[in-house]
Amino acid sequence: MRAAGLERTVGLVLGIGAMVSVGLLGIGVIGMGAAQVGPLDRPFLPFDLGRLPADLAGLKPTGFLWLGLLAVILTPSIRVIASLLGFAAAGERRMVAVAAIVLAAICLSAAFGAGG
Amino acid sequence: MAELLLLMGGGVAAGAFGALLGLGGGVLIVPLLTLGFGLPLREAVGASLVCVIVTSSAAASVYLQRDVANLRLGMTLEMFTAIAALAGGLVAFMLPDRVLAVMFAALLLYVAVTMVRARDARDARDAAGASNDVGPGADEHPERLPAGTEPAGDGSLAASLSGPGYRVRNLGRGVVGSLLAGIVSALFGIGGGIVKVPVMNLIMGVPMRVATATSNLMIGVTASSGALIYLFRGGIDPYVAGPTAVGVFAGASLASRWADRIDLRVLRLLFVAVLIVTAAQMALRGLG
Repeated sequence: MRAAGLERTVGLVLGIGAMVSVGLLGIGVIGMGAAQVGPLDRPFLPFDLGRLPADLAGLKPTGFLWLGLLAVILTPSIRVIASLLGFAAAGERRMVAVAAIVLAAICLSAAFGAGG
Repeated sequence: MAELLLLMGGGVAAGAFGALLGLGGGVLIVPLLTLGFGLPLREAVGASLVCVIVTSSAAASVYLQRDVANLRLGMTLEMFTAIAALAGGLVAFMLPDRVLAVMFAALLLYVAVTMVRARDARDARDAAGASNDVGPGADEHPERLPAGTEPAGDGSLAASLSGPGYRVRNLGRGVVGSLLAGIVSALFGIGGGIVKVPVMNLIMGVPMRVATATSNLMIGVTASSGALIYLFRGGIDPYVAGPTAVGVFAGASLASRWADRIDLRVLRLLFVAVLIVTAAQMALRGLG
């Protein structure tokens, strides 16, 4: 993959990620309005990946909101993976290592966060 | 329902203000959620990080497709912002809310002072008859290469990160700036562009336009590294973060169409006043 092509591809990944995220969040917000759920209703249920499929299947606003939030937070990671693959295809070993370290740092954040 | 609309409206305003003034909007979202809606500071920071990632992804997408952002430089510095954001996120959960509030007040004052100084510098350049004003902290890097010149490929890391017409320098100081930006981002829910852009432009010799675009690209990874800590530790409320992010995205999108029709000098002064009042309120919240 040529350098300029890589930049465009990575840009496209980010653009699609942003649109999908906002779309999912938008559906969740409309669901909040329809279900008369206030944004300040406390306490809120913290993120639980295991509950997500059931919430989505039940068309609950929280399901779409959490999926949208996950899409938001993971979009930059997907961009890093796309860059890593692009650099690997172009034979840029130094940048492959850089992308791998960035990805590792993000994974470490998730591990520290989940580890409590 | 009224609360939902108010929250989204606040998000639209923060997104529009942020986009018009070249800020991520995080400095406005946290005070909006804490002072306006009474949320705990950490939840406000978690929601703000989400908003910052959305706007960064959308903007960086455009910058990359137009070949303005420097992907290699951004990813190299990102290694350090991401690691520092992880540390900042962990520290944020150890600090008392009051301490964070006082620190946030100091950050707001810093941003206000920076904006006033940038305005003064621009006025001075205008008075001196400068012809190519490109905004606060405009290109002040001596190593600009003649137009159309490629940087020398001496095999060094800095040379491989340089772009058309400029040569990256002071990579070590750039790394230190990136570490600072990562900590600030995760502690306060901002993108960290207020640190990254001046470091890249003034210290590393990256043209302002490229520095802004590259900072936008980096913000996504920096903020997501911090946001993952908040997500798994119960610091993100979907009912708050969702509507605010949608509002911020809408505001930033609208603002990009209004930018040519709005007197940014008036807006900037208004913004500085808002920052100072908000800083005072945040300080009172922390000290009171």
